[in-house]
Amino acid sequence: MSTEAHVVHTAATPANEWDGGAFPFRVGHRKLGMWLFIVSDAMTFSALLVGYSYARAASDQWPTPFPFFPSIIFSTTMTLFLLASSFTMVMAVKASAENRLKAARRWIFATMLGGLTFLVLHLIEWKHLIDEGLRPFRLADEMAEHWPQAPPLFGASFFSITGLHMFHVLTGVLYLGWVALRISKTRHEDVEISGLYWHFVDLVWMFVFPLIYLMSVNYNA
Amino acid sequence: MAIGSIRDVFKKSDAFLLGLCVLLAAGFLVLAGKSAAEAGNFFTIDNLFFITICLLLALTFIAVPALTMRERGINPFAVPDGVTPARAAEHVHFEGGVKLFINVLGGLLVLTVIEVVLAYVHVPLTLMLTILIGLSLVKAALIMAYFMHLRFERMSLVLTLVPALVICICLLFIVFPDSFRTRDQRAAPTKAAQGQHSAETTTAH
Repeated sequence: MSTEAHVVHTAATPANEWDGGAFPFRVGHRKLGMWLFIVSDAMTFSALLVGYSYARAASDQWPTPFPFFPSIIFSTTMTLFLLASSFTMVMAVKASAENRLKAARRWIFATMLGGLTFLVLHLIEWKHLIDEGLRPFRLADEMAEHWPQAPPLFGASFFSITGLHMFHVLTGVLYLGWVALRISKTRHEDVEISGLYWHFVDLVWMFVFPLIYLMSVNYNA
Repeated sequence: MAIGSIRDVFKKSDAFLLGLCVLLAAGFLVLAGKSAAEAGNFFTIDNLFFITICLLLALTFIAVPALTMRERGINPFAVPDGVTPARAAEHVHFEGGVKLFINVLGGLLVLTVIEVVLAYVHVPLTLMLTILIGLSLVKAALIMAYFMHLRFERMSLVLTLVPALVICICLLFIVFPDSFRTRDQRAAPTKAAQGQHSAETTTAH
């Protein structure tokens, strides 16, 4: 019995690799775990986006308050920074795969810088909206005047979706910092896993940006 | 033995005090940032004074650990290049060159610019939503395939992950008919009421 189990575990290609004791996905368990987390997190975000879309499509009116400056300029710049940081992250993973650890760490720091820039720009944008009087369940006075039939859910959808995304960016920056500091003790796969998380944060923004910002452009401002 | 343990105690107290210095320096940096952020007007004598004092104190506290580390030749940021012990037994699988990644980044940037320009073209809302979601799906596919390395992974992993993500997108379109129905149901009674109202007024006349 024990020798049988031993044979299954060490065999390079078992008779059926889905019977256990093998790596049918050809990735380590940590990487598979991160992928499964990403799938479940994608469902969380899509639930929020679906809720927002439902509220918007079911309403007679919905505010479209974002002017070209500052909102659209800011959010576009944020998108470019996030995309650039995804590129630097993939360069970090490449450097790590080639065991150039110094370069890998420098690329990760560049990634963190991109993430922090995104955060700062987004917080400025939030402060701007809060100063205008936007609250989760109350429209800013100016918006309520412009769109009198609109439900007050604009703030709730905006703050919850972008807030959850901002939280992901923040934890991503901390996570990358942890990986960068311990890079000589990590395995390559650990660096790759942190890269997966960072690219996922970028991926989510690719849906949040058009649905929240570009669908709410104010042409007249 | 005794001397050794005394040395250990000194080492520990050293580490503790140096750590305390770093913490205090960080605290003063935070304080400087706080007063900079909360000042209504940044360029006042008061504000500049407080920030300068906080930064000076932070510098004073960080100087001791920094000098000690320099003296002892300790560089916590030193990284050896090459295969570290943690990586010795690892089989690394990585594909894709710098050129490919630059091309993917370029594609993503171009698609983003197209999206922003599209937002300023006056087209029907449904058409715009379809185009924006379509372009976003292309971007997501690019990120997943090349940045997240999925194109170079085994097909079994792709077939496990992608269907779940496709279903996420389908959810969006499954609820749209229901949300339109909700809106139309609300709109219908008011129209009927208006119709009844106008009928009443005509009969009255």
